[in-house]
Amino acid sequence: MQVAEAFKHAFLKQMLLGFQASVVSPKSMGFQERKSAIKLSADVAMAVARGTRKWTRGLIAGLSKEHQNRSFLQLILGEQYERLMKPCHSSWKIPRCKKIVRRSLRVCCRRKKKKNQVGVLARTLVAKRTQELKILVPGGESMDGFSLLDETLDYVVSLRAQADLMQSLLTTIEASKLRSHSKGTLPERKASYVGN
Amino acid sequence: MSSRRPRSWQSSSASRITDEQINDLVSKLQAVLPEARIRRSDRVSAAKVLQETCNYIRSLHREVDDLSERLSELLASTESSSAQAAVIRSLLM
Repeated sequence: MQVAEAFKHAFLKQMLLGFQASVVSPKSMGFQERKSAIKLSADVAMAVARGTRKWTRGLIAGLSKEHQNRSFLQLILGEQYERLMKPCHSSWKIPRCKKIVRRSLRVCCRRKKKKNQVGVLARTLVAKRTQELKILVPGGESMDGFSLLDETLDYVVSLRAQADLMQSLLTTIEASKLRSHSKGTLPERKASYVGN
Repeated sequence: MSSRRPRSWQSSSASRITDEQINDLVSKLQAVLPEARIRRSDRVSAAKVLQETCNYIRSLHREVDDLSERLSELLASTESSSAQAAVIRSLLM
């Protein structure tokens, strides 16, 4: 499973905004501060590139809980900030859904005991193992078992893309540095390259 | 009171979600896990897949943290303008 080309473009664009906003130059920032700014930019970039999902809302909400992040977030998100911060209108339904889920599970058990025993067992196993996932996936605490699995799949694919894109950024910046260095110190190199 | 709740919402609970749908999601999750963790050719239990998924998410978080550090180090010795130029170059690739 791969992310779309549009995701890659949106991610890199947003990273660029993040770089500009945090003015990641050695003069204005210490190592840790710059690292935090980069990490924040990368998370925002991933959420914005993916669009509206439960986990992207959860991620932005979690990031903006930190007081020091808020102005940076508003800066790099602009008008998107308000839209992303709007509370999910369906969130009030979810805790009540849990009661219905439990009630219907019990009813399912009584009515179709023989037929659905495997089904109920599978769901119980999934329910037990999802506790950890609820902590790892942003916004997971308010998701029911099925949504959580669905959001987890999407989140894992996006995380993989985030890491890959950051790696390619690293490679590109390193390569451009090497090029600028060699251009500056070895002018004869250029002539020999042209000759060949 | 409960009769006023729209039928569609009430039935959007576990009773409508089939085992087939859950199994489908679990096998999709298995497919995105790296080869080293689970031999993707074998069918493993849902519990195992979820466990490995948690481990994978944690390792991805560590990877991103490490990459943030390396980018921070690299940008310490790079002019911000050339860093931005490199990002734009990546965009065009």
